[in-house]
Amino acid sequence: MYIDQLRQEIQFKIVYYGPGLGGKTTNLEYIYSQLDPSVRGELVSLKTKDERTLYFDFLQLKFGRINNKRPRFHLYTIPGQKHYGFSREIILRGADAVVFVADSQPARMKENLDTLADLEKKMIAQKQSLDKFPWVIQYNKRDLVNSMSIESMQASLNFLNVPWHQAVALNGKGVFETLRSVIDLIMVNA
Amino acid sequence: MIPQQARSSNGKRMVFSETMYHNIIKILADLRSRLQAQLTIFADMNGYPIAYDQDVEDVDIIAMTALAAGTFAATAEMAKLVKEKERFRFIYHEGVNRNIYMCNVSKEYIMIILFDKSVAMGMVRILTHNTVEKLEKILEELAREHAKASQFLDVEFKSLLGKELDKYFGIK
Ligand SMILES: Nc1nc2c(ncn2[C@@H]2O[C@H](COP(=O)(O)OP(=O)(O)OP(=O)(O)O)[C@@H](O)[C@H]2O)c(=O)[nH]1
Ligand SMILES: [Mg+2]
Repeated sequence: MYIDQLRQEIQFKIVYYGPGLGGKTTNLEYIYSQLDPSVRGELVSLKTKDERTLYFDFLQLKFGRINNKRPRFHLYTIPGQKHYGFSREIILRGADAVVFVADSQPARMKENLDTLADLEKKMIAQKQSLDKFPWVIQYNKRDLVNSMSIESMQASLNFLNVPWHQAVALNGKGVFETLRSVIDLIMVNA
Repeated sequence: MIPQQARSSNGKRMVFSETMYHNIIKILADLRSRLQAQLTIFADMNGYPIAYDQDVEDVDIIAMTALAAGTFAATAEMAKLVKEKERFRFIYHEGVNRNIYMCNVSKEYIMIILFDKSVAMGMVRILTHNTVEKLEKILEELAREHAKASQFLDVEFKSLLGKELDKYFGIK
């Protein structure tokens, strides 16, 4: 969080974390496509040729004066591919909250677990821990016929009982609900 | 004094007084005019722009700073790979019409300068070096102060924010 009292801005950083191809970039693309241009900046995407996130995606949401302050939310996605570990570490720095985008396909469950472990490791490196940090889970790709049951995903991933949402980022279902809930969580913790 | 605060990467919250903030802007404006640069930005390593000075409003400061912080991070990793103990001190991009010069200010901050191709690189380095020293002095003073976010985020703000978000997010 960064408070700029002169320009009356409060900036928050939200990081979308999760396994490769889970739908993090798709979340940001949907948010970008739906919001009025007056409340969002440009979507900055650093992608490889095959549409994978190379470095990060970045989107700023900016709202008008609220009680004399202008809230700003900086949304980042991390690159989910394993070999981009150092980028993840850097993007996570200074985050106020995390959205963990899990992939509902059974074949991706191990990736979900590995990535969550990776997140906790990077948290600890920054002297933080998931059990004290504001984060929410988004179970994405609920449209796929072979998607796992919510109960079993909850049992595997949500051992800390954080807020969670079902989503189909591709058509926007659950995307704003997830964003709203992570912002609420930041406010509760601030 | 109005506090200005940011959380540094080690989780500490930093407080800038209004005077300090104005001093930073003055330093940036001074550098910009001496180099006839288009833009000078002082930002933290997380990609938050703290202050900037710009001649025309045609650069997206927010995106520029996020990308600069990313570039810095990547360069720091490259330094590690080639077993360079210190980080590289500056990064320089040469364009057809404009150049970008970026450098560290203490460990937690960076400065970005966008300037015309015609400006001599030696001059950029010397003037930037002086500017960095001035900024680092301000940061030393700053290191002593702290503040709490709750002073800024009161109950009323939180509930009004919720209403504003609902308006745009279209959640029923
Ligand atoms: N069926 C289905 N496909 C989805 C959904 N969300 C995203 N996808 C698809 O999944 C693929 C990967 O989505 P991305 O958003 O690029 O994934 P990512 O998490 O950003 O991946 P990395 O950048 O590699 O970490 C794309 O082809 C998306 O169209 C969804 O809800 N349902
Ligand atoms: Mg991506």
